[in-house]
Amino acid sequence: MRLKIKGFINKIVKRSLVERIEVPESEFERYGVMLKREIDSAFKRSIAIRQVDCGSDNSAEIEINNLNSPYYDIERFGVSFVASPRHADVLFVTGAVTHNMKYALKKVYDATPAPKFVVAIGDEACNGGIFRDSYAICGPVSAVIPVDLEIRGNPPEPADMIKGLLALMKKAGDKRQP
Amino acid sequence: MADFAETIQFANKGSTGYESHHVKSDDELAEIIAEMKSSGSVLLCLFCEENLSEQYQFRLVYLFEDPETNVIRKISYETSGRGVSVAKQFPTASLYEREITDGFGILFTGSFDSRRLILHEPYPAGFHPLKKNFYNTQIKVREHIPNEELYRFKKLDGKGVSEIAVGPVHAGVIEPGHFRFSVIGEDIFNLETRFHYLHRGIEKLIEDKKPADCLKITESISGDESVANTVCFCLAAEKIAGIIPPPHADTLRGIALEMERISSLLSDCAGMLTDVAYPVGASRFMALKEECMRMNKKLFGHRFIRGYISIGGVSAEINPTGLLLLESFATNIGESVEEVYNSSITSSSVIDRLATTGIISKSLIKPLNLTGPIARASGSRRDVRINYPYGIYNHHSPDIPSYEAGDVLSRFMQKAEEIQASARYIRKIIREMPGGEVRINEPNIPDGCALAMVEGARGQNLIYLNIRNGTVWRCKIRTASFTNWLSIEHAVINNIVPDFPVINKSLNLSYAGNDL
Repeated sequence: MRLKIKGFINKIVKRSLVERIEVPESEFERYGVMLKREIDSAFKRSIAIRQVDCGSDNSAEIEINNLNSPYYDIERFGVSFVASPRHADVLFVTGAVTHNMKYALKKVYDATPAPKFVVAIGDEACNGGIFRDSYAICGPVSAVIPVDLEIRGNPPEPADMIKGLLALMKKAGDKRQP
Repeated sequence: MADFAETIQFANKGSTGYESHHVKSDDELAEIIAEMKSSGSVLLCLFCEENLSEQYQFRLVYLFEDPETNVIRKISYETSGRGVSVAKQFPTASLYEREITDGFGILFTGSFDSRRLILHEPYPAGFHPLKKNFYNTQIKVREHIPNEELYRFKKLDGKGVSEIAVGPVHAGVIEPGHFRFSVIGEDIFNLETRFHYLHRGIEKLIEDKKPADCLKITESISGDESVANTVCFCLAAEKIAGIIPPPHADTLRGIALEMERISSLLSDCAGMLTDVAYPVGASRFMALKEECMRMNKKLFGHRFIRGYISIGGVSAEINPTGLLLLESFATNIGESVEEVYNSSITSSSVIDRLATTGIISKSLIKPLNLTGPIARASGSRRDVRINYPYGIYNHHSPDIPSYEAGDVLSRFMQKAEEIQASARYIRKIIREMPGGEVRINEPNIPDGCALAMVEGARGQNLIYLNIRNGTVWRCKIRTASFTNWLSIEHAVINNIVPDFPVINKSLNLSYAGNDL
């Protein structure tokens, strides 16, 4: 209880919890600015991403979540993660697809409105990785639904993902212009 | 014939007794199970192993722990294809038995639930991947599933009861699993979970490989428990080989284990605050987590510390500058967490949502074998690092905080304090780090069996390893998530559906680690 009172008083009199974090000039920032430009032209200001885990070990999910952390805050560049495939422009699919998830993945793909883009995230999603020979896997993501872009890594880091998104937006822009 | 169970060595220290029983008849099994039940023992694991050279084809091993005395009992029971269910005495046994039925085709008489577990409907009938006569390769699955073979959830009838089905694909960036709620109004009346959507066949994949080649797979059991699971596997392999890693390597492993714990718990705290709409605290925790992962990259070369742990030690040294950075990082993170923690638990909106939500009662800890921070937030005092120490924990014991109430608030406070305790522990072991080699050359691992336990960020992870002819014959992996997931079905009762996400996040169990 004393601790709580102390915390409460600190809250009133001491500095606020808001803290400025230094984000040095990084690869992520540079690609972010470029990505924003591409999104503005290809998708009219924003894209919505739906993530589907089909057999990942959760490290790729952690890195995707990190894109929303204060150090990256990818929403600045017009990228948001949405709760339903029906709201999505892009699917982020992680993991080698298990037999138990194959049906759900197909349903998610069908529920996503066209034009839609599928990105395979991580080595396993791209080529099956270490699970390639397992009985429980029906293959990489491309064995189940068409894939537009592969982002490799074990798991890919936030900078790899933003680079991948940039490549995807360039591709999407080219598709629009005949 | 020598009793098989006697040959399983235990890699951890601290057990006051390590007994084995070979059971020859069903009656004897029933007798010993009743004895275990009355003595208050906990079922740690139940697994099956195929044994082609002896009279019976299969061998079931029941592992029990007496939490009062730290005695571990192994009960082995041989069978040619039939078992007796012990799920009425030990409810968690039901999950293990269903797993064994899927993997080996052994049927258990008297079981109250015989639905499939790890193999969902697409797998053909009669397919049992863990049997030795199945060579691991891609298989043909069924596209069309007959109606009568679809999975049946428990149906609750009554006035005003309605069902809500959630998953396997959820609303957030999260792993897949299915939750079937039965609700009356807003209150949850019953919850049934269904997992194993991420079943990747890890136990089979590990077989017939040299132990050193398995580490890539153990790192992928669950992404944020890479170090814990790999250390656990290495402990078992090292026990069989009869080697002990140098003390310097033990310290480096300890740093990796605690950094992983900090990183995982930081995201739990962030998640809980996100789910109760307190972004000021959540962003700070997320920022700290990112700093932690960047520190991992600097020290170990990978944000999830992959490729660092090896059999016989670790793969590389941390340079002196790295150690200085780590020391100041550990000091700062302790202070920062305390600051955010104080700010969060003095916010009335946070307390309003967290307190008295999702209570896990202390009486569930033993029957369900709940471990880790979630058990310690409900009054448990147990931790593998203290009860069955390994590596660095043989020399230095960490502080283990604990709470009694068992609600989401207790779990939040528990996790925030465990982060600070881990940071203090890192500072302590850096100061007293012995010099020496980072690894010893891995000898050829002889044949043998061993059992090892590690306290991961989510609780007790356990690996049983059997080596024959230099390769893995059988490897049973049981992560803390497998047993801890059962607690959510109890924690949500009488809570409202909108509180489910924060209850789920407060437990933050791994789907991948459960599904293997």
